[in-house]
Amino acid sequence: MVSVLELPSPRLEEWRWADMGALRAAADAPQRAAGVDPKSLFLDIDGPRLLFVDGAFEPAHSMPGPVTIARMAAESAHPLGSLAEGEGWTLSLDREAAAGTVQIVHIGSGCDSQVPARIALAESAAASVVETFAGHGWANRLTRIALGTGARLMRAVRLVQADGFVSIRDEAEVGEAASLVSIFLGAGGAGSRIDGAVTLAGKGAFAEMGGALLTRHEQKQEAAVAMRHAAPDGTSRQLWRAVAADSSTASLAARAEVARDAQKTDGEQSLRGLLLQRTATVNLKPELEIFADDVKCAHGATVGELDARALFYLASRGIPEGRAKALLTHAFVGDAIGRIGDEAVREAFAADAEAWLEVAL
Amino acid sequence: MLRIENLHATVDGKEILKGLSLAINAGEVHAIMGPNGAGKSTLGYTLGGRPGYAVTGGTVTFDGQDLLELAPHERAAAGLFLGFQYPVEIPGISNLQFVREALNSQRRARGQAPLSGGEFLKLARAEAAALGMDAEMLKRPVNVGFSGGEKKRNEMVQMGIIGPKLAILDETDSGLDIDALKAVGEGINRIMRAPDKAVLLITHYQRLLDYVRPDFVHVLEAGRITRTGGPELALQLEREGYAPVAA
Ligand SMILES: Nc1ncnc2c1ncn2[C@@H]1O[C@H](COP(=O)(O)OP(=O)(O)O)[C@@H](O)[C@H]1O
Ligand SMILES: [Mg+2]
Repeated sequence: MVSVLELPSPRLEEWRWADMGALRAAADAPQRAAGVDPKSLFLDIDGPRLLFVDGAFEPAHSMPGPVTIARMAAESAHPLGSLAEGEGWTLSLDREAAAGTVQIVHIGSGCDSQVPARIALAESAAASVVETFAGHGWANRLTRIALGTGARLMRAVRLVQADGFVSIRDEAEVGEAASLVSIFLGAGGAGSRIDGAVTLAGKGAFAEMGGALLTRHEQKQEAAVAMRHAAPDGTSRQLWRAVAADSSTASLAARAEVARDAQKTDGEQSLRGLLLQRTATVNLKPELEIFADDVKCAHGATVGELDARALFYLASRGIPEGRAKALLTHAFVGDAIGRIGDEAVREAFAADAEAWLEVAL
Repeated sequence: MLRIENLHATVDGKEILKGLSLAINAGEVHAIMGPNGAGKSTLGYTLGGRPGYAVTGGTVTFDGQDLLELAPHERAAAGLFLGFQYPVEIPGISNLQFVREALNSQRRARGQAPLSGGEFLKLARAEAAALGMDAEMLKRPVNVGFSGGEKKRNEMVQMGIIGPKLAILDETDSGLDIDALKAVGEGINRIMRAPDKAVLLITHYQRLLDYVRPDFVHVLEAGRITRTGGPELALQLEREGYAPVAA
C-alpha cells in the first residue's frame, strides 16, 4: 500500500531511538496466516466489538454499536500518523452518553495496515476503549481524541503481535474537568513506537498516558509522549515501566510542557527501567519545560536490575529462581498496569505480562 | 538433623567462617551468641545458600543429605527456614501472594498437592492471629512500611504457615518490645518445639532465651564455635561479656 515509505530520520532527536528498520521490514514482509483466532482476543466483557483484519473492517465479526466506519483522511502532521488514512472508525458520543467498553481487535497477516480513528466525547460522556494488536506486519494507527467538559475516556491498548511493527500516534485534547487515561502494554514480539501528544486544554483537566514495554531478543520498543498543559489546575501522569531482556532495547521519552497561564499544574513523570540481562538497554528521557511559576512537577527516572536481596529472600522461602524473577518483574510492571480502572481489562493485561515473563525468564 | 563439620566460608573473597562445627539433633533448641562481626549471620546465609557466600571447606548434611549441593529454594523445600535479621521489603507483592507461592512451591517440590486459595487463606489467618498480627497486614506488600518489630513478627507468621523442620532464626528478637518478644517466643515454641523439629537461635541477648529455653548455648567468635554449654552459659555471657569466656 505504501510504496515509497518516507520515514523519519534517526538524526532527528525525537526519532533517535526509533527502529524504522524494523518498521520497514514489517511493511515489506510477505503475507502469511495471522495464526490467531480473533475470538480469543476479545475479552469476556459486554459491549461493542470491532474486528479489523489487515486494516479492513470485518462486519461479520463485529457488533459496532455506536461506533461508525468510514473512509477518513489522516489529519495529522505527524510523520507516521499522517500515513494512517483509509477506512477507519469513529466513536462519537453525545452529552452524558455512555458507551461502556468498546473492544477493537486488529489482526495483521503481513504488509502494512493503516487505520485512522476518532473519539469525540461531548460534555460528561464516558467510554472505555480496549484495543488489541495481534498477528504480523506493520500496523499504523492515528487516533484523534477530543473530550468535552467533564467527559471521561479510559483507553487500554495491548500490543501482542507475534512480530512486525506497531506504530501508534495519539493526538488528544482534554477539555475542562475531563479525564483521559491511556495505558499501553507492549508484550508481544513486535517492535513498536507509541507516540502521543496530549493537550490539557480546559481548566482542571486530567490526562494520563503510561504503560509497560517488555522487550526481548533483538526487539526495540519505545514510547514518546508529550503532555501539554495549556490551562490552569491541570493534572498529568506519565508512569512508564520498561523491562528489557537479552539484547533488546526499550526506550521511554516523556515530556511535560507547562504554558505560562497553566498555573497550579500538577505533573508527574515516573520512568523506570529493569534490565533482565546486562546486554539489554533501557533509554529514559524525562523532560520538563515549565513557563508558569506556581506548578508542582515531580519526575523520576531510574534503571536497575532485579534486587539480589529480594531474589534470595524469595528463594530462601522455597520459590525457584525463574519464578522469583517473574514475581519481582511482574510486581515492577504492576505499577503501570494497575492504572487500568476496569478489573477485567486489568487482569487480562496482567495475564499477558505474566505470559511474556514465563517465556522470557 | 543438621551436622556441620569444619565449615569454612568466604564472603567477597574474605574468610569469615574458619572451621565451624556444630551438630543439632531433632527435638533440640540451640542458641548461638557472639560479638558483632563474629560471623553469626554469615553462618545463617551460608546454610541458606545465599549467592556470594562461598563454601571453601567442610561439609554440611541436613537429614543425611548434602545441604551444600542444593539450590536455596531446594533447601527450603527440604525443610530449612531462615529467619532474616533484616527481612527484605518487596513492593508490589502481597504477603499472602508471597507466602502462598512459597508454600506451594515447596509442596510441589515434595510431590504434595498445592493448597487452594481458600485453604491457604484459612491457614494464613490462623497464623497471623496466633502471632498477634492484624490480618489486614497479610494483604499489604511484603514488609513494606512495616516497623522492625512487625517485620520480625511477619517472619514468624511465614514460619508458622510454612512449617519447616529446622529454623535458623537470625536475631529475630532484636527490635522487639516486650509484648512482641513474648509473642515471638511463644510462636517459636508452638511452631518448632516438637520431637521432629529443631531450632538454631542466633541472638545477642539472653532475654529471648527466657521464653525459648535452649538445650545448648554456643559462643561463636571469629568464625568458630569457641565454647558450648547449657542455658547457664547465656546468663554468664550476659553478666561477664564475651571476653572472659573466650579467655
Ligand atoms: N557482604 C559482605 N562483604 C564483605 N564482608 C562482609 C559482608 N557481610 C559481612 N561481612 C563481614 O563478615 C563478618 C561477619 O559478619 P556477620 O556474619 O554479619 O556477623 P554477625 O552476624 O556475627 O554480627 C564481619 O566482619 C563483616 O564485616
Ligand atoms: Mg548478624
